[in-house]
Amino acid sequence: MLPSTAFTLLWSLALFTLASLSLLYILRCFLHFNMVKDEFLHHVGVNYLFAPWISWLLLLQSTPFFMPGSNYYLALWWFFVIPIVALDIKIYGQWFTKGKRFLSAVANPTSHLSVIGNLVGARAAAKMGWSDSSICMFSLGMAHYLVLFVTLYQRLPGSDRNIPAMLRPVLFLFFAAPSMASLAWNSISGTFDKSSKMLFFLSLFLFMSLVSRPTLFKKSMKKFNLAWWAYSFPLTALAIASTEYAQEVKSSTAHLLMLVLSTLSVVVSLILMVFTAFNTNTVLPKDDGLQSPIDTGSPV
Amino acid sequence: MESSEHLGLSNQDSPEVVPSLIKFIDSNEVVGFDSDEDKNLENQYQTGFHSLTPSATETETAAVHSQSGHSHQRTCSISISMPSSPLEVHEQNSKRVLFRDHDEQIFNNRIAHSYVPSTNGGTKQAKFLSAPIPAGSAFDEAVALGLFPNRPVLPPKNPRIERLKDTRFDSFKTWSGKFEKQLSHLRGKPRETGPDANSPRKVEVETLPVDRYFDALEGPELDTLRPSHYVEKLGHFCFHKVPAYKPGCKPHPVVHSCCSIVAIVFVIYMLKVIFYFEAVRREYYHPIRINFFFAPWIALLFLAIGVPPSVAQNLHAALWYILMTPIFCLELKIYGQWMSGGQRRLSKVANPSNHLSIVGNFVGALLGASMGLKEGPIFFFAVGLAHYTVLFVTLYQRLPTNETLPKELHPVFFLFVAAPSVASMAWAKIQGSFDYGSRIAFFIALFLYFSLAVRVNFFRGFRFSLAWWAYTFPMTGAAIATIKYSNEVPNIVTKSLSVILCVIATLTVTSLLGTTILHALVLRDLFPNDIAIAISDKRPKTTRKWFHRRTVSSDKDIENYLKFSVSDGNDIEASLAPPSSITTTSIQNSGTAGTHSNQSPSGPEP
Repeated sequence: MLPSTAFTLLWSLALFTLASLSLLYILRCFLHFNMVKDEFLHHVGVNYLFAPWISWLLLLQSTPFFMPGSNYYLALWWFFVIPIVALDIKIYGQWFTKGKRFLSAVANPTSHLSVIGNLVGARAAAKMGWSDSSICMFSLGMAHYLVLFVTLYQRLPGSDRNIPAMLRPVLFLFFAAPSMASLAWNSISGTFDKSSKMLFFLSLFLFMSLVSRPTLFKKSMKKFNLAWWAYSFPLTALAIASTEYAQEVKSSTAHLLMLVLSTLSVVVSLILMVFTAFNTNTVLPKDDGLQSPIDTGSPV
Repeated sequence: MESSEHLGLSNQDSPEVVPSLIKFIDSNEVVGFDSDEDKNLENQYQTGFHSLTPSATETETAAVHSQSGHSHQRTCSISISMPSSPLEVHEQNSKRVLFRDHDEQIFNNRIAHSYVPSTNGGTKQAKFLSAPIPAGSAFDEAVALGLFPNRPVLPPKNPRIERLKDTRFDSFKTWSGKFEKQLSHLRGKPRETGPDANSPRKVEVETLPVDRYFDALEGPELDTLRPSHYVEKLGHFCFHKVPAYKPGCKPHPVVHSCCSIVAIVFVIYMLKVIFYFEAVRREYYHPIRINFFFAPWIALLFLAIGVPPSVAQNLHAALWYILMTPIFCLELKIYGQWMSGGQRRLSKVANPSNHLSIVGNFVGALLGASMGLKEGPIFFFAVGLAHYTVLFVTLYQRLPTNETLPKELHPVFFLFVAAPSVASMAWAKIQGSFDYGSRIAFFIALFLYFSLAVRVNFFRGFRFSLAWWAYTFPMTGAAIATIKYSNEVPNIVTKSLSVILCVIATLTVTSLLGTTILHALVLRDLFPNDIAIAISDKRPKTTRKWFHRRTVSSDKDIENYLKFSVSDGNDIEASLAPPSSITTTSIQNSGTAGTHSNQSPSGPEP
């Protein structure tokens, strides 16, 4: 049990980081709108547009400063969920209507981020007690998760183009989505019931499946790159889900699992922070690592 | 002595066996036939052939031609277009083809291969070699009579062993080398030593009873043999023998017989693993056969589910963990391959037999829930459900990148029914009652059953094979699920449905059992040689232009099948290098007359 001050400190640190990052991105929107547009048009970059909203929602859920039922919480929830829904409408609609951006052409593991966005919004809503909006977001997320899961598993020919080898760490997002879904359903139904357990087990299985294939990640692990941060969030989500699971099923194996996963996620996050600190010069290259297929050749 | 035998035979044989043929055989015998060297062999064939023409008279050869032509027409579609190595330009001359027609006569149709060029259309194809395939009683007679002269001169004792010992097929050797010498010494046979196995054999000799093809091979171009290897299929056979829910059967003898069958099959397969590890490895790389690695574990799970109370009241939970561990490891490997494997991605390899890899999850969940375990069954149910969704969608899509399943394998479409029915039973056990989730799964299974059952033509037109055992497990699974459902919702419709389905399932099982025994022991055409896994690692330089009536896609299929054998280093999932001594290409290039040809005689392929 961390003392609450330590928790508040950590949370404030996270808030500060996120706030500064958001500010920087707002500046980028104003000053380098071309680059933002390019990100929007890129099949991988577009999914990361969900990332700030996800982060804000996660921060909102864990805030120590006001309770979930309060008006602040409500207002902020609306503020963060509306962009997610707007992006949903745009991107999911593109999946099955826009020729150049059909799902079969653009599907890649980072598309899970859109699903995760919905699920995080669902969880935040459920914590408020708004069951209908939470179920709405949840069903949105799960329906598209189903489609995405199948598409990614099929690995239709040509889909290899979508992920360069350096971005293989994003494969970890495969098990981030079911973990978040398990947590969301846990919040919606009140207990860690069978569906949550099933989602958690699916996530665990996918995690083990990926971890037992180190050769997949060999190429991307040769040198530190920003994609390594893709490891952190899924591991943390899985660890949180395992915590909920262990609380429900009070068995020794569950607790052991929780311990292992939590340790792993903390260690990985720390290592990533250290690596990033030592490699700040390489982390921010002159241009975006991704070459947009519809690159307009914007100057940096 | 051999020659005198042959000459003696020539008098007794039917007119179709031509004296000149026998002379031809003779000359080959003399010249040191069946030596280790391929080149020698080829030369002999050529010289033999050439020696024939000067020795035979015009009329004789004409007679031969005409008779073999007649025989061609009489036989079922021959088209033994077996691809040989691309390096052999003159393979067509040296091909020796063995035909078998309806009258079950075997004649060495060496002359007939002069037709082969026309059959082939004169194109250079990558040919392939098959081991001589056991063809049944007539074949055995022929071997015994020495009519099959490419054997070493040995007493005709066990034709099957003779066939296995044919060393010209050592390039496809799956026999573990170290045991070879010892065993052959034990048998007292002279054995060729290693070098011939290691030399890159451009083997161009084929001995192929025609019917064997259609029994043995399937695939758009008759590429693979029955995917259901006999060992795994006998595991299937044990599935439906679980008597737990069948009314009116005596458990003990059946269970004990099942256990003994499973034990026997296990022992046989362990022996295969030890002695023919190469074959097992190649089966692992085969897109259809890999799924059958689950079969023994599923069979054991069902046996554990169905163990009668008098034999064992409470099975220990450790048994469940023991049984599920291999399934879990296989799953990790195979599902991961679907997701990340280059050559073995799901969009390419998806076929209904993949259901076998999913059903194992549900069966494990069912057993675990019956034992009273809580979390483990849910784990496997969740994993199975998620991957079942993926597979179901993929199979329903029938993606263009997905090769069409050959007609011989249509029985495995019934596996569509197996997964939801077992899932409904598993969920009912987990939940404690046949609730909505179970009912949804059950109705899906029922719908698929009916929609497949009314497609009579889809399941007709191919001869009996071990693939037919794919009918049994889904039918019995559906029957059992219906019984459980009718227990929950007892009315006249459900009860009659359960009775009907049980009767159908029982009839299917018994008739299949009878037919299998008939074919295995009486007709002896059930266990062909395992060509399907004799795949090379090199693609042919020439593209083949075979006719295959069955499928639309041609070269793409070949590429797909070939790719399964090629490990080009880009495939993350390819762990080991395929055997390098094989230079001939994979079997599908043999593809010829479609499936219908085994029914009606037709001329050789143009």
